[in-house]
Amino acid sequence: MYEELLEDIAQQNGLREVNTYTKLAAGLGGILLCLLSTSYIAPLFIAIALSLSLLFLARIDKKTYGKIFVAPVIFALFSVSVILLLSGGEGVFWSWQPLSWLSLSITRESINESIFVFFRVLGGMSALLFIALTTPMTDLFIVMKRARLPEEVLDLAMIIYRTIFMIMAHLVLVYQAQMMRLGYRSFRESIRSFATLCGAVFIASWEAGEDLIKAMEARCYEGKFAVLGEGRPVRLPSAMAVFSFLLVSGGIVVTTQHLTIL
Amino acid sequence: MHIMEGFLPLQWALAWWLVAAPCLIFGIYRLKRILEANREALPLLGVTGGFIFILSSLKLPSVTGSCSHPTGTGLSSVCFGPWITSLICAIVLLFQSLFLAHGGLSVLGANIVSMGIVGPLAGWGIYRALRDTGVSMYLTVFLACTIADLCTYIVTSLELALAYPAEVGGFATSFALFMGIFALTQIPLAIVEGVVLALVFKYIVQLKPEILVRLKVFPEDRIRAAGSDS
Repeated sequence: MYEELLEDIAQQNGLREVNTYTKLAAGLGGILLCLLSTSYIAPLFIAIALSLSLLFLARIDKKTYGKIFVAPVIFALFSVSVILLLSGGEGVFWSWQPLSWLSLSITRESINESIFVFFRVLGGMSALLFIALTTPMTDLFIVMKRARLPEEVLDLAMIIYRTIFMIMAHLVLVYQAQMMRLGYRSFRESIRSFATLCGAVFIASWEAGEDLIKAMEARCYEGKFAVLGEGRPVRLPSAMAVFSFLLVSGGIVVTTQHLTIL
Repeated sequence: MHIMEGFLPLQWALAWWLVAAPCLIFGIYRLKRILEANREALPLLGVTGGFIFILSSLKLPSVTGSCSHPTGTGLSSVCFGPWITSLICAIVLLFQSLFLAHGGLSVLGANIVSMGIVGPLAGWGIYRALRDTGVSMYLTVFLACTIADLCTYIVTSLELALAYPAEVGGFATSFALFMGIFALTQIPLAIVEGVVLALVFKYIVQLKPEILVRLKVFPEDRIRAAGSDS
């Protein structure tokens, strides 16, 4: 019905106490290096390195990590198959022209291209998950504030963040009650129940929003939210680890520029 | 489903960020204006963002047996207008990529353009065109939400096709193929989303019409009349 929030895992992961900027450097650096790479090797290395550190350093449950990865991999396979069939190029292995405007072929170049894109997605996803699973949003808000994001936007983001958890609790309650009364027995029934669920949640969250205004005004709200951040100092071992990870990945990006699988 | 991290090459990821940026800046400007006039609006906008997030993390019952996610932007666009919706969507998309691993950071720009800008604009256009005609409110909301959802996926296909054109036939062939893949699941889903959000709207009309009256979504007499009918 609803998915597990990575945020809950991030709140209690093994790298929770590491400095936020250090973790962001590893994650964002990984994403950027994946995009700069022209070969599949560097993204593959980044995917392996970051996944291993998530599993062993951040101690993320292996099953959960696998489950999070499945959906993007399926979507990636679908989209990559289009690249495989359409991008053409030299070294034709197979080709077929079902319609006058549509010509499908599998070539050496298209295999190389699709494998490269597939691994870039894997690398990028691992880097994204590295940020998502090790850095709770509350820490990122502090970073956003320091980055001088407009205050209104930050406030809006923080209220959205709070509301999500509030609505989630309400949603689970209503959904379970509907399930108990066989609300999702047939397709027709589930459409009706789903709509009632969303409507009830919308109204409940609206009322919660109004209560929030009253509660904040009672506490001298002047249009500004206070962000209290406790800075975690940069520690040498983690900073060195991230630095050497980026250095090695960067080295691989440069040295494997022209390497392809076929 | 959004475009995921790493799928777009660097130059396209940057290009879509450049397209999204002015819309977001305009959204921020509008947000500031609204908050200057009415400070109470902030929590209500936040709640809408939370609602869009929750809606898009729910699995919609689908005809094909697979699950997908409603975008929920149509309703917000009808209630608050497209620019504010685009800003809310940008925040929601960031949360989705970090909380659910849907989408990504480098492709956030591309996803904002499809789900946060074009979809809501199209939905809002339909709503504005039909609002003052005799068309039923529920049909208007249904069409606005369905079109917003469909446009989101058309633009996603466009973004994918531009980045990966076919060797023969170029962009157009690639676009047709990506559209074909999405259309299979997305047309039924868009219709289901439209039905669901129209029912949600009906539910709000019945139980809390004053929200809609305050937002001036439809003329007050029509909302009151619809509320007392049911």
